[in-house]
Amino acid sequence: MAGPSIRIKQAGESSKSTNTSGDDSSHRLVTFLQSQSQNTLTRLYQKPSSCLSIFRLLRPLERQLVMNLLWLEMPVPAATMAAWVTREGKRPYHDALSNLARLHILPQSPVKHALNPTFKSSMRQAITGGGSSGSFGVLTENDDKHPPPDIESLDAYALERWETILYYMVSSGTGQFPTKPSQGVLYLLQRSGLMASVHGNTLQITSAGFQFLLHPPHEQLWELLLQYLQMAEERQMDLVEVLSFLLMLSATELGKDYSTENLSATQKAMLEDLRDYGLIKQRTATSRRFSPTRLATTLTSSSPPLPTSTGTGNGSQAQGFIVLETNYRLYAYTDNPLQIAVLNLFVTLKSRFPNLVVGQITRDSVKKALANGITAEQVISYLITHAHPQMRKNKPLLPVTVQDQIRLWELEKNRVKSQEGYLYTAFASQADYEYVLNYAKQLDVVLWENSSRRCFFGSVEGHANIRGFIERRSAAGNA
Amino acid sequence: MAPPAGRRVGDDFVDDSDSDVSITGLDDETSRAKAKGKGKAIDRNKKDKGKAKAKEQPYAWEASYSRSWDTVQEDERGRLEGAVQDWIARGRRRRLLAPAAAIRRTIIRHLVLVLDLSSAMLDRDMRPTRFDLMLQYAREFITEWFDQNPLGQIGVVGMRGGLGERIGEMSGNPQDVLKAISERHKLEPTGEPSLQNAIEMARASMSHLPTHSSREITIIFGSLTTCDPGNIHDTLDECLKDRIRISIVALAAEMKICRDLCAKTGGVFGVALNEGHFKDLLFELIPPPAQRAVARPGAQGANLAADLMIMGFPMRLPDTSPPSLCVCHSQMKSEGFLCPRCLAKVCDVPTDCDICGLMIVSSPHLARSYHHLFPVKPYAAVMSLEETPDPSKRCHGCSVAFRDTPATMLGAAGEGMSPLGRYRCPECQNDFCTECDVFVHDVVHCCPGCGK
Amino acid sequence: MDKPSHLSVVIDLSLTQWTLCAQSTNPPGITLQDFLSQLLAFLNAHIACKDENTLAVFGAFPGQSVMLYSSTGEVTTTTAESTDANTYRPFRTLDSTIMSSIAERLDSYDGMTEEAPIGLVGCLTKALCYINRTITTALSSSQGGEGAAASVDPRILVLSVSPDQSSTYIPIMNSIFSAQKLKVTIDVGKIFGAENVFLQQAAHLTGGAYVQVERADALLQYMMMSFLPAPAIRQLISVPTQDRVDFRAACFCHKRIVEIGFVCSVCLSIFCQPVPVCSTCRTKFPMKTLQRLRDARPLAAPPGNAPPRPPVQKNGTTTPARPG
Repeated sequence: MAGPSIRIKQAGESSKSTNTSGDDSSHRLVTFLQSQSQNTLTRLYQKPSSCLSIFRLLRPLERQLVMNLLWLEMPVPAATMAAWVTREGKRPYHDALSNLARLHILPQSPVKHALNPTFKSSMRQAITGGGSSGSFGVLTENDDKHPPPDIESLDAYALERWETILYYMVSSGTGQFPTKPSQGVLYLLQRSGLMASVHGNTLQITSAGFQFLLHPPHEQLWELLLQYLQMAEERQMDLVEVLSFLLMLSATELGKDYSTENLSATQKAMLEDLRDYGLIKQRTATSRRFSPTRLATTLTSSSPPLPTSTGTGNGSQAQGFIVLETNYRLYAYTDNPLQIAVLNLFVTLKSRFPNLVVGQITRDSVKKALANGITAEQVISYLITHAHPQMRKNKPLLPVTVQDQIRLWELEKNRVKSQEGYLYTAFASQADYEYVLNYAKQLDVVLWENSSRRCFFGSVEGHANIRGFIERRSAAGNA
Repeated sequence: MAPPAGRRVGDDFVDDSDSDVSITGLDDETSRAKAKGKGKAIDRNKKDKGKAKAKEQPYAWEASYSRSWDTVQEDERGRLEGAVQDWIARGRRRRLLAPAAAIRRTIIRHLVLVLDLSSAMLDRDMRPTRFDLMLQYAREFITEWFDQNPLGQIGVVGMRGGLGERIGEMSGNPQDVLKAISERHKLEPTGEPSLQNAIEMARASMSHLPTHSSREITIIFGSLTTCDPGNIHDTLDECLKDRIRISIVALAAEMKICRDLCAKTGGVFGVALNEGHFKDLLFELIPPPAQRAVARPGAQGANLAADLMIMGFPMRLPDTSPPSLCVCHSQMKSEGFLCPRCLAKVCDVPTDCDICGLMIVSSPHLARSYHHLFPVKPYAAVMSLEETPDPSKRCHGCSVAFRDTPATMLGAAGEGMSPLGRYRCPECQNDFCTECDVFVHDVVHCCPGCGK
Repeated sequence: MDKPSHLSVVIDLSLTQWTLCAQSTNPPGITLQDFLSQLLAFLNAHIACKDENTLAVFGAFPGQSVMLYSSTGEVTTTTAESTDANTYRPFRTLDSTIMSSIAERLDSYDGMTEEAPIGLVGCLTKALCYINRTITTALSSSQGGEGAAASVDPRILVLSVSPDQSSTYIPIMNSIFSAQKLKVTIDVGKIFGAENVFLQQAAHLTGGAYVQVERADALLQYMMMSFLPAPAIRQLISVPTQDRVDFRAACFCHKRIVEIGFVCSVCLSIFCQPVPVCSTCRTKFPMKTLQRLRDARPLAAPPGNAPPRPPVQKNGTTTPARPG
């Protein structure tokens, strides 16, 4: 079969493929909400905090449209609204409208548009304050016995929890046995298909899990939470309560103590799970107060959910720690076992120093990553997001040679392309063969032909036609 | 591995150009670094070039690889703060040296840019070639020139094949001028240059200008010869009579006639050592020249050049207004400017109204140059808070908190710097931080405290 | 496209003008209290749009300019923290900080210093200083050069009720040029009073919106639609720009706003009448020119400050069209 045609993407394209929240695509949660019933959503919109958090997850144009409509008492004629956007904005405008309609924020209507009344009143309440829903969380009174935890300890706690989960995942295949996360987390990991049990009971990371590891923390968090939401439905938990609690958390303030008294039974049950994920901290399992960590408060923003991704807590390293040279050598300024383990997925590590790991990207190391189901784009985007500030002065950021080579290694893997189809053989005569072949060529379904052996291979789509053609012909010949 | 962090910073500090065009800093640095790295010896005899320029800058071909990062002083904690402070302090001192009173500048400027297009420009001692570098710098020069001289006009003349060649007519629109030199293949260097022909052509194009504008010729000259039809000293005398200033940036070596042209007409002559120096020399010609108080021979006192002009400030019509005919092209158009005297519609400003002859300018055009006239008074560095009874806690500009304890200053570097990071406006007695001090004097030209 | 943006708001707090505005019936005015509550809703909406959006509020008081609030916490008040579970906490801190710092200032006035011109220039320059600092700190905290600079996306909103102060012509123009240099958009909302020539130019030169609020009771809707969209999204949502821009200047001698002026050729100072000596650069002008200009001069300059433009051609037809 013919060799693969090699297409080398421009360096700029790579960033598009990563699904960060800043891109044109909607947020994961928004997509999830769109699949919910109108009833569920309307109940959700009763809480001002939920409205505010969902509003933040919308795309800029959608946000602006909502804001434009929010303070109007009368519905707006569709024609008037269409005049708000410029000519370039037409397409995004229609996308935005249909998106909002699927969220039941702005019901679809050919004539006049008005916001969902529940959403409108809650959103107004969120912005102007007031009301009595108490949806932004009830702070506990300060008492001297239990001062609210300081921000550093919250960060350390969140980081420890989160890295435990990731580190468990990454080292599951290596034979090491790091600290196990709680049973609930393990179940969630298994349910989301990030890990699977192989020999009866030991959990092993799956290829989806490897891909997961290379995602930015924000996406990882939402991926797990969405899984949690789906599980909640099965566990007979009220989805609206689960959702509104999550969204409330995202509107709380870091470093404050909140009271559990106003929470419903479902929400109280959630506290334990969220504690395991590192979203909230409680002094004891039965404590009547909880404090959200940075993981929770940044759910609806794009600021980094984890303060510092290193064990030593050196602030500058949060921005990136990888230096990659044109000779495929990689220097990672880190001593964090998780980061080293993740790098180990696609780098041959050579030497290790107290704060530095030196390695080399080789064909074998990348092949290993590819075999685990990681794609070249994911490797590249991981390198880009974690590039050292010094690297960011380069343009393009990563050496082009290395980027291209990683993609080429991926293409090598795809050298053989399989396609389903039918082999047509045993034609009675060369004329017969050519007659059918011509017909198949007209349909453009021939994948391969060999006239000396009088056979050709056609794709699945063309089979019905070809068979019909042959049958008609042989019927005519017999007649 | 990545280069040591201090390096780029360090280069800026050793860069000792006195040009007050701040934007050149970074580009210079890179181009100079390039020149250093080249390390290529060109065996041309240009030894007598060194008179006109700063001694510390080496020629492009004899520069050794200087380890600029070694000259940066780190303090005991290995930081570069001392060097940064030194750099800021230099800027402050320069401002303090500048006269506080408003200088008179000739702001309505007319300039003919003469480009050498002779075969000497194909020399490769400047990268990529003298010609390409000249075109690149000429473009930057024109942009920056119009930025600082909004009411000026530039014409372009080329010298090649022994002739002067008009490349761009006098125009006040930067786009027109840039377009004139945008097509490289039309400017391909060839033959001998002729200074006399080019100057005569430039002089002719400026002969009709009103008396209150300055007339200047700036020549970029790469050749060591000139091929003239007559006596160039006659041309020089004519220029003196017309009060045309000639400035020359030579790329090869100093020539007597070039120096004479500049010296006698009151212009500036310089020989470029390397790419960075070339740009410095060229960009030094951008700020409006201060008018000499001493009358030059041939000019009967500077005041005669001054005049009062009548100008109109138009109203701009949006492109949604009903279309009407414009007086300049007789075309139906929606947008345009209305002459305040006769209400005729013109397409662009600044211009002269075709109907009533009024000079129409938009006020931002004029206002762009006012900061030359009313500079902000330099702020005084606050050395201690003992005299101030109730010091403000935050910068009056950006509200950043001041530090409480004085920072330790490194000897001479701290001269003119406040150990508290406070700089006080002499007018309104408000304190400002270092960043705002620089920003107010270099960009805003208006003190946030007293609004002056 | 979805990146955080910075908004600096300059509020005109001239009590005289606000009193006039509240009394105005045609068009119906708005009281300062109503205005502030609508403004707070707008500011909350800006913060609501994105968690990383930043905000700074400056108050232009008579003869004074004060920073009322900034999201980086330069202004703190002593208001006790209330535990209100019904409001998003950042909104509450924002609202209470602004209200208490305004009240503090206004209490200390009592109409005494009311005659001083408002500190609009001070506010503008402070806003620029603040933006300059936030941009430079964003730059120095790495994230790699141009990327961070672009991500701040700053703009300034001026909400004005006072008429032009011609004495501030040069400082305002200087602020506009520095705004252009910093790539700051200046939006202008004129809530009460006649068109403001200088602010019109500010909005025009920086590519911002100039909105003359005609129905002050619908102010919030005006602000949501015209001033909330960040510069990046304005390519998609059309924002009202002004009809016509007045390019008039103020003369240096009497601070009048002129449409035909006399300009010194040396320093470009503008005068409303022919003068023998330039007051800025002390250049003497030739008598010949003075005589000529006096003869050719249009009718005596109007005595009032900032005369309104003659109401020329609403439909643009008075333009003399050339025959043929």
